[in-house]
Amino acid sequence: MSNSLQPHGLQHIKPPSSKRRVPVSQPGMADPHQLFDDTSSAQSQSYGAQRVPGGLGYPAASASPQGAFLADPVSNMAMAYGSSLAAQGKELVDKNIDRFIPVTKLKYYFAVDTMYVGKKLGLLIFPYLHQDWEVQYQQDTPVAPRFDVNAPDLYIPAMAFITYVLVAGLALGTQDRFSPDLLGLQASSALAWLTLEVLAILLSLYLVTVNTDLSTIDLVAFLGYKYVGMIGGVLMGLLFGKIGYYLVLGWCCVSIFVFMIRTLRLKILAEAAAEGIPVRGARNQLRMYLTMAVAAAQPLLMYWLTFHLVR
Amino acid sequence: MAFTLYSLLQAAILCVNAIAVLHEERFLKNIGWGTDQGIGGFGEEPGIKSQLMNLIRSVRTVMRVPLIIVNSIAIVLLLLFG
Repeated sequence: MSNSLQPHGLQHIKPPSSKRRVPVSQPGMADPHQLFDDTSSAQSQSYGAQRVPGGLGYPAASASPQGAFLADPVSNMAMAYGSSLAAQGKELVDKNIDRFIPVTKLKYYFAVDTMYVGKKLGLLIFPYLHQDWEVQYQQDTPVAPRFDVNAPDLYIPAMAFITYVLVAGLALGTQDRFSPDLLGLQASSALAWLTLEVLAILLSLYLVTVNTDLSTIDLVAFLGYKYVGMIGGVLMGLLFGKIGYYLVLGWCCVSIFVFMIRTLRLKILAEAAAEGIPVRGARNQLRMYLTMAVAAAQPLLMYWLTFHLVR
Repeated sequence: MAFTLYSLLQAAILCVNAIAVLHEERFLKNIGWGTDQGIGGFGEEPGIKSQLMNLIRSVRTVMRVPLIIVNSIAIVLLLLFG
């Protein structure tokens, strides 16, 4: 699989669909509609078989104890019954999961590869030379993040959030202020601020009656990009003290400000304003204020969530 | 820094309760935010004030029954667990 960056925690999203997909003869990258490489060949079966003993923690041959276990016909029946029950339950969950969590929509946001992640991180730290910020479309649907560096994704925000929590724990540990429940507190605090931001922006978008294609998940993705700058700032603060922290945080704040303005301008403001023509009327002005407010909230939150970690 | 998800939930319940408590006749009409005073025709832009009035009216209509349930649960839980 080419997506070697995906950690185990996210891998449960991929296998069910790749098992059900009909094997295609051509290699994965030929069809842009296909989000992930097709691995439903014989190779995946051996990979799966290799993974299971590793996951269970029995790297030695697990065949012999299982053989003795299965010889008993009663336990054989029990296993068959149990596995059929599990299969039924899995079918039920698969049928209904799409009602609560939009899994198929979420898969679009995790269709990334190493090059995209590298380019996007570079863009987050240095957005000043990038010229074209439009997301490419393909027959009315936006192209997957793998093929366009401007598309939002959820991989970087999710990873950056988890890294932020870990780095916060590291920072607290170097100051002898660490205790395990503080990790949960940091995570929940950052999540609460994120939720509050999303709700506030959705409310103001509703009040200003902006007709955008900015979905909620897109918004979460954009707001999650600030964790990257926060991690950089805290790490520099750990290495070089307060001076390093303020320098790197200041740089990342300005970069995120520019990045958010350039990205949100295309989504919130009307087409005319996005191409540089001066705004006309109070409506566009209100939208401009909204974009600037959203972008200005990012550095504030970046500072608020990290200053207590660096002493 | 003690801003947890639980306090966000508490704040949300309190805010929705506050919106639900606004009285239509005694209060909203007196400050010109009544539901029959908002409709300004089918112009292109509804404007912030009419959007807000719509929001208040819809929150009050939709959340009336769920709020009863959520408030009862909150009362019971707070009585039991402090």
